[in-house]
Amino acid sequence: MKILALFAVLLAGGMLLYAGQDLPAFGDQNSPAYQHPMTTRFIEESENETGVYNIVTALLANYRGYDTLGETTVIFTAGMAVILLLRRREL
Amino acid sequence: MTGIMDIVYAEYNYWIYVALMMIGFYAMIAKKNLVKKVIGANIFQTAIFLFYISLSDITGGTAPIIVHGDHAAEVIYTNPVPHVLILTAIVVAVSTTAVALALIIRIYDEYGSLDEDVILAARRNLQPEFSEYARQKEVDT
Repeated sequence: MKILALFAVLLAGGMLLYAGQDLPAFGDQNSPAYQHPMTTRFIEESENETGVYNIVTALLANYRGYDTLGETTVIFTAGMAVILLLRRREL
Repeated sequence: MTGIMDIVYAEYNYWIYVALMMIGFYAMIAKKNLVKKVIGANIFQTAIFLFYISLSDITGGTAPIIVHGDHAAEVIYTNPVPHVLILTAIVVAVSTTAVALALIIRIYDEYGSLDEDVILAARRNLQPEFSEYARQKEVDT
């Protein structure tokens, strides 16, 4: 069973290594992700549009505000699940 | 040969993340202890975080916080978008770990063991219909 697991792991790792050859180099300024118009726009315009110096904060709380709201729902649900699982039951 | 070595060196962050991810994957599927499985899932998630954060790095870049002053035009910022995505992903990872550990505490209360085989054996003893179902499945396959 462990041999089978090791085989699956090596297969998945080999596929990831094969796919990784096409990825941009580490620290490459010309990578598609960095040259994308949205990234450029966030870096250049986010201070004018939101007034926040930290671009990550501007993205998280302004542009992706609804996503962050949903994230709090995730934390709330997890907290409720933990409370329901671990509370003492009256038998 | 130099071409291959260039790729290996230029993308070493990916090889590190693949190694970490496979360690976590192996722990998830091969270990019998449930806590070790959760630790494996956490290593797996950490590998993905490392992948995204290393993807956002720019050589000579600084943290994406706006710099004012004389040299403002020369400053290169790293890509802020993966940072935001991973901030969300870390929260989800912590939530899932909390729920998984709570479930493991309940399982330990119920069966007195964290070992997968012991728990499955106890389930067969407690619920004969489960054992019957398992035997039926084995017959079918």
